[in-house]
Amino acid sequence: MPRDRLSAIGLAIFAVAYLLGDRRYPLDTLATPGPGLFPLVAGLALLALAVWQFTVARPGREREPTRVAGAPGSIGSPLVMAGVLVVYAALFPAIGFFVTSLALVFVSSRLMGLAGWWRPAALALGVTFVSHVIFVTWLGVPLP
Amino acid sequence: MSDLFVALTPPNLLACFIGTVLGTIVGVLPGLGPAGAMALVLPLTIKLGPTAGLIMLAGIYYGAMYGGSTTSILVNVPGEAASVVTTIDGYRLARKGRAGAALAVAAIASFVAGTFSVVALQVAAPLVARAALAFGPAEYFAFALLGVVLLANLTGGSRVKSLGMVVVGIMLATVGMDPLGGSVRFTFDLGGAQAGFSFIAVTAGLFGVAEVLTSMAAPASVMPAARVKFRELYPSREELRRSVPPMLRGTVLGFLVGLIPGPAATIASFVSYGVEKKVSKYRHELGTGAIEGVAGPEAANNAAAGGGMIPLLSLGLPFTPSTAVLLSGMLLMSVTPGPFLLRDHPQVFWGVIGSFYVGNVMLLLLNLPLVGIFARVATIPSRYLMPGVLVLCAVAAYSDNNNVFDVWVLVVAGIVGWAMRALDYNPAPLVLGLVLGPLLERSLLQALTIARGDVRGLWSSGPSAVMLIAAGLLFVAPLVSGLRRRARA
Repeated sequence: MPRDRLSAIGLAIFAVAYLLGDRRYPLDTLATPGPGLFPLVAGLALLALAVWQFTVARPGREREPTRVAGAPGSIGSPLVMAGVLVVYAALFPAIGFFVTSLALVFVSSRLMGLAGWWRPAALALGVTFVSHVIFVTWLGVPLP
Repeated sequence: MSDLFVALTPPNLLACFIGTVLGTIVGVLPGLGPAGAMALVLPLTIKLGPTAGLIMLAGIYYGAMYGGSTTSILVNVPGEAASVVTTIDGYRLARKGRAGAALAVAAIASFVAGTFSVVALQVAAPLVARAALAFGPAEYFAFALLGVVLLANLTGGSRVKSLGMVVVGIMLATVGMDPLGGSVRFTFDLGGAQAGFSFIAVTAGLFGVAEVLTSMAAPASVMPAARVKFRELYPSREELRRSVPPMLRGTVLGFLVGLIPGPAATIASFVSYGVEKKVSKYRHELGTGAIEGVAGPEAANNAAAGGGMIPLLSLGLPFTPSTAVLLSGMLLMSVTPGPFLLRDHPQVFWGVIGSFYVGNVMLLLLNLPLVGIFARVATIPSRYLMPGVLVLCAVAAYSDNNNVFDVWVLVVAGIVGWAMRALDYNPAPLVLGLVLGPLLERSLLQALTIARGDVRGLWSSGPSAVMLIAAGLLFVAPLVSGLRRRARA
């Protein structure tokens, strides 16, 4: 099945789930519209567009993405990085910005191919320290 | 009018300088955005007094417009929404080794447009503000709809995908508080979701985090570490010559769009890009790294930022998050913007306008010499730069609402953005949908309420009818031409 048809199915599922969620909010009337009216219009519009995309998508008509992420063997690193980011978000409030960001920069630079140990460590320390100075000390962002 | 020179007093000059430098830095850093930065320094500006305080806040506002283009061009991460469109050609120019030229043209275009908009603001403010005041909900709705259709036509690639992404953005904008009734929607009992999806978190995720993941998937295709020679940091005569017409078109168009409520700077940059795609002599090069794709949108978003000050100063109505922060600042300093501002606080009114002149000169002097420093960032290998981008994105997402939920939004948006790129979906329409969503909903529902449920109320006035017809024609025209092509084949 063409990639565009698969993504059209994904959009349609999202639209249907959204419309099901919207059933909890009243529509009321056009003269006194309720909070459910606009989401209903938006959800139906996306469903219609998904059907349109499914209809027009044909094998061979798809453009190659500007930068292909699905080349064999190339999907592993981004997936590992995505996992690292999920762990980062989970630990961010618990152990704070400085330690989590230090670890994030260290791990991500290693994943991106920065060789050795002292370079990733120096980069992690530098980036985290400068960010801390700019945002916490200078701009006063109350980071955890 | 002599109050215009208030901007030249040493404390106000210093406030203007600090504001423009901060604004440029904020524009360069992805995510934080001018509104966030202005809100962060608001307590400090109150201590400076109304004139100097507002001059500093205004400096951050238009300084960010200057700086916003830098990361768009260098790392494909727009500093703020108005610079999203600059990524299309700016980043490609950088990859061709013309990062310095693109940055310099962006700075010159910003200066030309900023100066023009200040002159126009000073001369025509009362007249144009009256015209903008005539816009009701039906006109807002028609204008936003026209923006959406225009966007789908000019993004490039599949129109149906662009429209789909706009609608997804609009749907995401419905999460949180209903803009009219105050009901909470689609939050699934998550406390952090009540304020809705943070625009900063979504944008930083779709552009920043997704860029990092994409660069990991195809490392060879991202940011070649070629050295940029010093003489290449400035535009060639040919590039300057080609930049002039789009710069002038973008300036006038941006200023006019800036008068209309809404995310005018963002819309202006997209509309300018669309106009260049239609009228530029080099339109076939747009999307592949054409200087017109930088000059036009950068002029447009800066002119729109100037135009956007008119409703705030003369009517007291903020239509963007940044001008809303400015309004808060004014009220905290016991200055009420609106028709009586000029009568009651002439020094504040003319001082702020005068600071725009001074600020534009400062920004040009600051940006052109520093273009070399910014361009050097492009030569840094991604394994050094991208981990820093991740941390900046996380801080920017968190600092919007000081909320960990927004960090989760950032991560999810990053992963979705990476998948979108792999499936050839452009994230820019989604971002615009997220910005336009509340405006579309509010204006549609208000127009329906005013018309007592009669949908004809949406096109009952001349301007709204014209804009809706234009949107309809723009929607139908590519379909008709597609059918014709298919019939011929």
